[in-house]
Amino acid sequence: MSSEVDALYIYDEYSAPIVEHVYRSRPPSAASILPLYKAHPAPRPSLVYLPNAAPPVTVFSITHSNLLFLAVSEVEAEPLLVLEFLHRVIDVLEEFVGAPLLASKLQSSYDVVAQLLNEMCDAGIVCNTELNALQEVVEVEGWMGKLLGGVTLPGATTPNLGSNNPLKQQLAAASLAQGPAIPWRRPNVRHTSNELYVDIVESLSVVMAPSGRVLSALVSGTIAFTAKISGIPDLLLSLTAPGGQQAIARKIDLPVFHPCVRLARWREQPGELSFVPPDGRFILAGYEVDLLPMDPSLDRPPSHMEKIFLPAIVDIRKSLGPNHSEFEVRLTLNTNFPGFPPAASRPSAGRNGSGTSTPSFLAGGSGGGGGGGGGNSSSPVLEEVVVTIPISKSVRSITAMQASRGEPQFSPGSDVLEWRVPTKDAGTISGTATLRCTVAGYQSVDEGFDDPAETEDVEANANLLQGYYEAPTSYQTSGSAKDSSSRKRKTKKKKTKKSRSTAATTSTIPDTPDEPSDPSKPQSPVPTPPLQQQQQHPASSSIFHPPARKTKAQLYASLMPNSAAVSFSVRGWLPSGIRVDSLNLDPRRSRGLGEGVKPYKGVKYLCVSRRGVERRC
Amino acid sequence: METISRISSMLETARELTLEAAQSATLSRGTAPDYTSQSYSVPHIKKLLDSRNEREVLDGMRKVISIMYRNDPSEASLNFFSAVVKNVANPNVEVKKLVYIYLVHHAEAEPDLALLSINAIQKSLTDQNPQVRAMALRTMSGIRVPVISQIVSLAIKRGCGDMSPHVRKAAALAIPKCYRLDPSSLPQLIGYLSTLLGDSQYFVVGPAVAAFLDVCPDRIDLIHQHYRSLVKKLVDMDEWAQLATLRLLTNYGRKCFPRKTERVNKSTTKGFYEDEDDEVADNPAAEDGTEVEVLHPDLELFLRSCKLLLQSRNSAVIMSVVRCFLYLAPPDYIAAAVGPLVALLRSPQDIQHVALYNIVVVALHHPTMFAKYVSHFLIHANEPSHIWCLKLELLTILFPHCGLHWKGVIISELEHFSRGTDPDLVRECVRAIGRCAQNDMNTANHCLRVLLSQVSSLDDTLVSESLTVIRHMIQQDPASHKRTVIELVKHLGSTTNPEARATIIWLVGEYAGAEPEQNIAPDVLRILVKGFSDESEVTKQQIVLLGAKVYLHHLLLNPPAEEAEEPKPNVSGGITVNNEWADEQKEERQEEEQQEPPKEDTITLLWRYILLLTRYDVSYDLRDRARLYKALLSDPRSTQLASLLLLAPKPVPYAPSPSETRKDLLIGTSTLVVGAAAGSNGLKGYESLPIRVKPGQEPDSRLRDVKNDMAEKTPTTAGERLDKALRDHDTLAAPASGPQKNGAATNAGKGRTLDEWLDDEESETEEETDSEEETDSGEEEDEEESEEETEEEDDDDEEDDGEDDEEEETDSDRETVKKESQRLL
Repeated sequence: MSSEVDALYIYDEYSAPIVEHVYRSRPPSAASILPLYKAHPAPRPSLVYLPNAAPPVTVFSITHSNLLFLAVSEVEAEPLLVLEFLHRVIDVLEEFVGAPLLASKLQSSYDVVAQLLNEMCDAGIVCNTELNALQEVVEVEGWMGKLLGGVTLPGATTPNLGSNNPLKQQLAAASLAQGPAIPWRRPNVRHTSNELYVDIVESLSVVMAPSGRVLSALVSGTIAFTAKISGIPDLLLSLTAPGGQQAIARKIDLPVFHPCVRLARWREQPGELSFVPPDGRFILAGYEVDLLPMDPSLDRPPSHMEKIFLPAIVDIRKSLGPNHSEFEVRLTLNTNFPGFPPAASRPSAGRNGSGTSTPSFLAGGSGGGGGGGGGNSSSPVLEEVVVTIPISKSVRSITAMQASRGEPQFSPGSDVLEWRVPTKDAGTISGTATLRCTVAGYQSVDEGFDDPAETEDVEANANLLQGYYEAPTSYQTSGSAKDSSSRKRKTKKKKTKKSRSTAATTSTIPDTPDEPSDPSKPQSPVPTPPLQQQQQHPASSSIFHPPARKTKAQLYASLMPNSAAVSFSVRGWLPSGIRVDSLNLDPRRSRGLGEGVKPYKGVKYLCVSRRGVERRC
Repeated sequence: METISRISSMLETARELTLEAAQSATLSRGTAPDYTSQSYSVPHIKKLLDSRNEREVLDGMRKVISIMYRNDPSEASLNFFSAVVKNVANPNVEVKKLVYIYLVHHAEAEPDLALLSINAIQKSLTDQNPQVRAMALRTMSGIRVPVISQIVSLAIKRGCGDMSPHVRKAAALAIPKCYRLDPSSLPQLIGYLSTLLGDSQYFVVGPAVAAFLDVCPDRIDLIHQHYRSLVKKLVDMDEWAQLATLRLLTNYGRKCFPRKTERVNKSTTKGFYEDEDDEVADNPAAEDGTEVEVLHPDLELFLRSCKLLLQSRNSAVIMSVVRCFLYLAPPDYIAAAVGPLVALLRSPQDIQHVALYNIVVVALHHPTMFAKYVSHFLIHANEPSHIWCLKLELLTILFPHCGLHWKGVIISELEHFSRGTDPDLVRECVRAIGRCAQNDMNTANHCLRVLLSQVSSLDDTLVSESLTVIRHMIQQDPASHKRTVIELVKHLGSTTNPEARATIIWLVGEYAGAEPEQNIAPDVLRILVKGFSDESEVTKQQIVLLGAKVYLHHLLLNPPAEEAEEPKPNVSGGITVNNEWADEQKEERQEEEQQEPPKEDTITLLWRYILLLTRYDVSYDLRDRARLYKALLSDPRSTQLASLLLLAPKPVPYAPSPSETRKDLLIGTSTLVVGAAAGSNGLKGYESLPIRVKPGQEPDSRLRDVKNDMAEKTPTTAGERLDKALRDHDTLAAPASGPQKNGAATNAGKGRTLDEWLDDEESETEEETDSEEETDSGEEEDEEESEEETEEEDDDDEEDDGEDDEEEETDSDRETVKKESQRLL
């Protein structure tokens, strides 16, 4: 078994191949492989096997900023290896050509792309993907000019090495002769202004049951680091969490690290990252935090739940209004972040926060072009609040969208309703916003539903409609009487789908008395048909459920959304509560940094949730 | 781990990004090369290439490369071949790089012209700049012209002894290329490989291992002496080298370390594992005198250094470690790897997808270990089908191993999604509920109730899929599901889905008709027959079948012994099947008769009525079936054949987890992801792991004692030195305890004498020197020297028998340093 990449193809947004790099043997060409790849139905997995290509190949794919990256392999390859390689290619290209990657940028610097691809993988064996090492080997003409002119990516290093600098050539040669001392850092880095930035980005993913109960709350965190510092610095980054050093060991789960991090130090003292950074921007570590740790072997729901603070919560109620054709989405925003003074009582920004960050850290400024003010650590800013509601394909249109704030958007045919809620208005952000919508199915639904005679005709209609005309249960008549019993059962089993399940369960056993669902025996439920009863009246057809009448409510019930998700981002707040305690440069072990030089340090926290807070209903 | 590009895009707000994109789009429109312009015309570029000005040549080369990469037929850039080849000796490194790229790309098309460049490249092999030497070696081996294979082989030999690790690395990478050019050069190449595998630089060893795997993966004998140094360097290598090394060592481990178990009691294990992680110590110590897997110290050394890799940023590395643990180590190791494996779900979706496949397979082997992470596998509404499909499977695999609370949550989740609008998701969810019930008897009833509630749903797929699953459940345990069938019967009144009705009717016939006191089948039949003509064909077929069964049961219960006159009309009916008119007449007559004397019971009547109804049905199939049953049941006294046909016990269906078929595939491979589509042998090049060697057949463990301690070079930075000290502190423990355990555990397995083993060694080194002699022609002395040195050292060590590791290590360390310094001078 040998893992190899046979070729790397890049296509632009119009599916035209723009880069075609063959590493070994003769794989199918970029133009011939694309139609085969596209023939695979739409959400394409990252690994597709194309037995029809000549020769048969496996294709690994990644889409990044509208460009399609394909790696082709004729033989068995480790899929993760190839995919990781593709991600590195994207990272490296972004660094060299400038982010965001655009087809035109790649095309105007083919010579660089060629050198990079050539260097990163030799005849199918991936060999050198370290950015710093590549910067040593691949020269870019007018690199600086291109970077400054084209992009102002904050992570880009300021190269102060002319391509024909003889001194540099000599130094490089020396390092080549001995082999790199630190494989991830290029030697002889010089910066006029020494800067260190830490960006901690956490993405939040929460699943809530219809009752509002949180089923799982996971945070996946990433520490991005930007080092623009001369010589060979040896850094120590200490993280802390509410509850001190012990808490951090408990909180941070399953960490992964850049190879530069000394694992031994972390194991001794969790929360301390000691490392010699590469030059430029890199991902220092990744971790996850389970905000709702639960023992899976528990038989009962945990009596005590950790309170989770969420800046945005969405709730949805369906089948409202006279026709049961309306649903209401309720968005609750809360900017009273724990650990920060309430937003209203705080004077305008500028005051340094609650002492959680050391004074040497100046807020904001690390990352985004122009985003400096937003990231003030003393005042978390909630932004980009978007509620996304998946809409069933059988919904023809949504009429009468009434939002108390923001603008909802739904184009017929698309499968989501998007509701943007602005957070930059004056006044408080906290509070509740509602959106009320009326759904409309396709025409025939409205026509036929109360006319049994037409049923047959309509049934012959589109496949789409079949579901509405059969086996209806009456959500309205059967529900209330049995509520208590089945709800008891639910709570016993810790069921979470309260209202909906109740209606459904009871509707199946409408002629059943309450006894069979005795709450004392939740584990031996008998599906409850009272047998004798039936045996007594064998003559009547009552052993069958009577076919219930179709009601509007049922018709619309199937058009109702059954989940809603909210996306948002918060600058200056992390759900895990992790903070940077200190970032120190070890003067004894560092080299090449002038005496008394104090690098400028910055920290930025960002919480992102991309459709991450999901509410079932 | 997230990639920089993804994190950057998170940090920038969306608007900033689009602005930037638009901006740079407009900018680059100005700078994008216009290939039709004057500056890209062939004569102009040729002029540039022929220029004496380096800048102009460089500019020309850049343009050629651009043309080469543009989506043009490659002939366009072939025009420049001769002009480019002229520049191969250009002293400028930048120009050289581009020329080399061009050469590698086009040499196959123009082998003759390419050969002209070989001389110049060969000259560059002796350039002062190691970067140039490496590039030249790389290019030369990349030129796919078979004629030059011997020259390439020589170049590799020279490269193997180069001072710069970059050149040695290039040499290692060139080996597979040379092998592909000319497979007959294999013996020489293996010689070079064994040199490179023993290199002191992890930087070189990694590619050497990759080359080894490519060229001669079965030559395990080459690895023995480098095993420990490979394990030691594993942590320092870059990710790609780690991957290759992990693959090699996993294979090696399967071939060289048999699985051994021992009855161990507490005290001895305690002493042995004293200074190790508690999890390692805990497990064997837990039960007194139980079977415990005993690890060979060398294997343990490897496994422990693997553990350090579990915090790698590279998902492929983590997967390789998991593979190694899964196939090589006792279960407590895999327990430590489960967390990092699950953590791969934080990665981008493409990696998530592949990771999930592997997680499923590992979970099939060790489900309990994953129960802790069950909340990671909840489905999100916006996930594509290939992701949720695997997550669903994981939920069902983990289901039996969760507590009641999570079981409830899982079932509710499945129930929730089964009410969605995506038919595939609905179907999978219902099946998943079925699997949950099947794997965990305690909650089967609850699952069943959930499914029953779905039967009255409006959704077609949901109803029919639920019924299928319910049917499976009933079939698996008919005795306890009597009432379920009755419950289902009620739904016949409300369900119009033909498939669903058919399933219910079949169930009635199968399970509700046998026992007389609970026999509801005749009643059901009676009601169904009323609306027979309105039913769909599938349903009708099942009604007829039900009728046949009911009638048969009836016959079995009341054998018609006394009714002597009965058979006659029946027989005649059977004979005159073809004459339908006559037949019907008779039956009608019968009915009249029966009404008068109520001898004939209702069930027989019912059966006749059904036959009558089907006779005039539009469907051929249905009519044929009816005839079959009719003939079968024509004689009320001979029911044997009929019961054989109709009442035969049905095989119990079992729905395994969908990935059960992939369980035996090697994790971390494409074949695992592709699955059945890849054919029975997997994708081309797929190989399963070698079978684990049996105790007593493994190679002697002392083969590995040969210390080839070129070890690590003295680290150059303070940080490195500290790291090394820490690592040594960690890893020294194991080798120190090595010899003792060695004696204890492996004595039994020693099949070979020392002499035999020495013989082996000699033949190996002979081979090496042979190949050197062959290729000796134009060599320089220093390389020879260094090779000889290593050989000498090998010999030394052999004599030592590797008894006192500690001393030897320091000795050879000193030697190494000396040697290194000599070289550098």
